[in-house]
Amino acid sequence: MSLSTSNFNEMKSAEMNEAMSLGEQAPTEQVSAEQITSSTTAQAEDRRVFIKITLAIVLGMMAAMGLVRLLLDANGANKQGILGRVLQAQAAIPQIIAEPNDLVMFYGSSMTRAGFSPRKFDGDLKAMGKDISSFNFGFGGLNPYYQDLLSRRIAEQFIEQDRKLKLALIEFNPFQTTSTRWNRAKFSLDSFITMLSNDAELWQILQEDLSRGIHLFNIKYIRNHVSAEMVTSYYSRELFPPQRGQRFKDDEETVTVRRSLGKELNAAFEKDYPNYSGEEWYYPWQGAGTIPEERSAETLAIFDNYYAASQTEARMKNDRLSRIRSADIEELHFEPFLVESFIGIVKNFQRFSDKVEVVMLPKNSRYIDYTPEAKIRLAKAIKQIEQATGIKIKDHQDIKEVNADMYRDTTHLSRYRGDIAYTDFLVSEYAQAL
Amino acid sequence: MIFNTPIFFWFFCIFILFYGFAFLKQTPKVYLLLVSSLIFYGGWNYSFIPLLVGSGIADYFIAQAIDNSSSQGNKKRWLTLSLLLNLGILATFKYADFAIASVADLFSVLGYQASFSTLSWVLPVGISFYTFQSMSYTIDVYRGDMKPRKGLVEFVAALSFFPQLVAGPILRAKHILPQMHAISMPKWLEAKHGFLLITVGLIKKTGADILAIPADKAFTAQESLSTLEMWTGVLAFSGQIYGDFSGYTDMAIGLAILLGFNIPLNFRVPYFAISPVDFWRRWHISLSSWLKDYLYISLGGNRNNNRTRNVFLTMLLGGLWHGAAWTFVAWGAFHGAIITLTHYLANLQIFSSFNRSNTLAVSLVKWAVTFYLILIGWVFFRAIDINSAITIIGNLHTFGSASQLGTNAWSIFILTSVWILLMHVMDYFVIKSADKLEKKNWQFWLLIILGQALCLLIGEPSNEFIYFQF
Repeated sequence: MSLSTSNFNEMKSAEMNEAMSLGEQAPTEQVSAEQITSSTTAQAEDRRVFIKITLAIVLGMMAAMGLVRLLLDANGANKQGILGRVLQAQAAIPQIIAEPNDLVMFYGSSMTRAGFSPRKFDGDLKAMGKDISSFNFGFGGLNPYYQDLLSRRIAEQFIEQDRKLKLALIEFNPFQTTSTRWNRAKFSLDSFITMLSNDAELWQILQEDLSRGIHLFNIKYIRNHVSAEMVTSYYSRELFPPQRGQRFKDDEETVTVRRSLGKELNAAFEKDYPNYSGEEWYYPWQGAGTIPEERSAETLAIFDNYYAASQTEARMKNDRLSRIRSADIEELHFEPFLVESFIGIVKNFQRFSDKVEVVMLPKNSRYIDYTPEAKIRLAKAIKQIEQATGIKIKDHQDIKEVNADMYRDTTHLSRYRGDIAYTDFLVSEYAQAL
Repeated sequence: MIFNTPIFFWFFCIFILFYGFAFLKQTPKVYLLLVSSLIFYGGWNYSFIPLLVGSGIADYFIAQAIDNSSSQGNKKRWLTLSLLLNLGILATFKYADFAIASVADLFSVLGYQASFSTLSWVLPVGISFYTFQSMSYTIDVYRGDMKPRKGLVEFVAALSFFPQLVAGPILRAKHILPQMHAISMPKWLEAKHGFLLITVGLIKKTGADILAIPADKAFTAQESLSTLEMWTGVLAFSGQIYGDFSGYTDMAIGLAILLGFNIPLNFRVPYFAISPVDFWRRWHISLSSWLKDYLYISLGGNRNNNRTRNVFLTMLLGGLWHGAAWTFVAWGAFHGAIITLTHYLANLQIFSSFNRSNTLAVSLVKWAVTFYLILIGWVFFRAIDINSAITIIGNLHTFGSASQLGTNAWSIFILTSVWILLMHVMDYFVIKSADKLEKKNWQFWLLIILGQALCLLIGEPSNEFIYFQF
C-alpha cells in the first residue's frame, strides 16, 4: 500500500465516505458474536498502534535529545563552558565562608574583575595590622539581572552559615544597565536563568507562565542548561557576524610588535605559573589575576612595551565605537528592569553584610564622554537606587588617582597599572572602616 | 501553546495516553478532543474560549434553522445572520482599529483634525481560520451541499480541533464532521506518515526562523544594504513565510493523522509555480479554494464578463483576510492584478504558442517571471507600510548601489536559495514517495531522530508562527 500524502488522503477519504454514509442512525440490530470478536480485535489493534505511537514519541524524543546532549557536550557547550568563572566562584563560597579573617567582597562586572586586586588590598591592610580576606567577584557578561540571581545564591549560603561580610563593595555599572545591553543579552536569557536560579524561582515562573516555566525546566534538566537560542545565536554569529567597529587601523609595524609581545607574555606566564591549570576564578588569586610582585623585572618591562603597542589611538577609538553599539555607553538609555535588578543586588548583600558600599568604577574619560541627556538619565538612575537602598553611591569614575594611561581599553583598567592604582585608592578609602 | 515547544510536547504526551488508552469509545473521544482543544486554545488566552465556542454553537443552530426553513427567503435570512455573526466577530476584533485609523488618516488628508480612539483589543488567535471554517458550514447547508449534522459537541470539537485550530488549514465542515462522527484510529503505516510530516514541519519551521535573520535585516535596515543583500532578504522572507506556514500545517496534518484524522494538503511546492494562477493552486490551498468556492463563485465567477472584477475583488479580500493593514490590501491587489494580467496575456494571439508550450526553456522562463512577481508581492506583505514597500522595490532594482557588500553576502544568498529549494524537494518527496521510506524501518527512524535532533538543537521555540496573527 502506498502511503505518500496524496495516497493517504485518498485512502482516508474512502473511509470518510463510509462514515458519511452511516449518517446519524445508530445501528439497532442485535450484535452478533462475530461482530463482537471483530470489534475486540480492532480495539486490540488500535491499542497496539497507540502503544507504538507512544513509544515512538517517547523513545524518539529521548534519542533525539540524547544526540543533542552528545553534540553539545562534544562542543563544550555546557554550564561549565558558558559560566565557568561564575560557577567556580560559587563553588568557592563555602571555603570563603570558612576563612578566619574578616571578609570583603567586591561584586560587579568585568570592570571589577579587571580593576580590583584582592591580594594587593589584603597586603596593604595587613601592613596596617588588619587581617582581611578579600575576593574579586567581578564577572564579564552578567548584567544586573543575572547578577541579582547570583547574589541571591551567595546570600543563601552566607545566611545559612550565619556568616557576614565585613564590607561588600558593589559596582554600579551604567554600561551594563542600558536597554542596548539588555537586548543583546536576550539570546542567553533562558540559559543563564536556569544556571543561576534555584528550582523554587523556576517554579514561581512556571506558576506565572506555564509555557515559559516548562520551557525553562526543560532547558535546565533535559538540555543541560543550553537553550536552542544560545546554539542558534552561536551559529548565526558565524554566518552573520556582528558589525565590528574596525574603522581605525594601526600601522602594520605596531600590529606585528603587539602580536610578538603578546606571545612573549604568554610564554612568560606559562613559565612563571606552571601549576595554573586555567581556572577562571582561581582561589589562590582570590578571584583576580596575578600581581606585579610575583613577576620578574623583565616580564614587567614586556608589559610596559605591550601596553605602549596596544593602547593606541586606533584601538581605543574602535573600542569606543564598539561599546557605543553594544552598551550605549555615551547616551545611557537605561533599562528600568535592570535598574530594579541592581537594587535587588544591593538588598541581597544588605542581608549578610555589615557594611555595603555601592561604587562606580573609573572609566576612561579621554574616550567616553556622556552626553548632557545621558548625565541627566544617569543622575535619575542613581537617585532611584539611592532612594531604594538608602546607600549613597560613591562615584569613582573620574578619580585623580587613575589616569587615562591606566586603561587597557575604554572601560577596563589595565593589569599592574590601573588595578593597582585603583586598589590603592580603595585601601585609602576603606581602611578606616575595616 | 506552539507545536515546537516543550509544553506542547508534554500536553500531547498526556493527551495521547488518554486518547489511545483510556477514552476508547467514540463519544468520550470526542469530548476529550473538545476539552483538550479548549485547553490548547486557552494556552493563549482563556477569555476567548467563549467566542470560539459561542460562534460554533450559533452556527450549529443556524444550520439547523436553515435546513428547517420551508422558504428560500427564510433560509437566506438565517444565512445572513450567520454571515453577519462571523464577519461581525472578524470586523470587531480584527478590522475595527484598522477602519478607525484609516478614517482618521482620511480626515487628516482632507485637512480635518479629528480625534479618534481605537478599541485596541487583543486579536483572538486563529480567529480568521475558525470563523471561515464555521461560515463554510452554514453556506454549505444553505446551498444544499450538505445536510446539517446532529451532535453539537461533535460540531464544536471539529471547529476547535487543536491540530489546525490556530493556523489552519481551513477545514470544510463536510470534510471534518464525518471524521469526527466516526473517528477511525490510524494504522501504523499511517502513523509513521504522521511522524514524517511532523518532522518535516519542524525542520521547515527551524529553517524559517534562521531565514528570519536576513529577512528582518532587509526590511528594517534597507538603507545600508547592497542590492544583493536586499534580494537575499526578500528571498529569505519568501523562504521564511513558506517554511513557517507550510511547516506549521505539515505538523498539523501529521498530528491529525496520529489522532486518526485526515487533513488535506495546504501547499504543493508553491514556488515551482509557472504562473500566478498556478501559484494560488499551490499556496495556502485551503484558503484559495475557500475564497474560490464561497466568494469568487458567489460574485459570479467567470460568468457575465465580470471575471476581472471578481478575480480582483477576491484577491483583494484575500489580502485583507491576512491582516488589517494597507500592505496586505496592496499584496492582494498586486496578486489580483498579476492574475488578471496573466488571463489577458493568455488570450493574446502572440502569446498563444508560448502559453501552450511545455518545453523546458519556456517553462523556466514562466517560472522565473512568476517567482519574480511572487517575490515582489512578498515585499508588500512584509513591509511595515506601503511607502516602505515602494522604497524596497526601488532598491531591489537599483544596480550599482553605493552600499558595500556585507560579510558573507554571497554565501547567505546561496544558502538561502538552497534552503528554499531543499524545502520544496522535501515537500515533493513527502507528496510523491514518502511511502518507500516509511516501509524501511531503520532508515525511517534514523532520519526522524536526526531531523528532530537538529530542530531541538537549533530551533527557537520563542519565535511564534507568522500565520498566528492572521
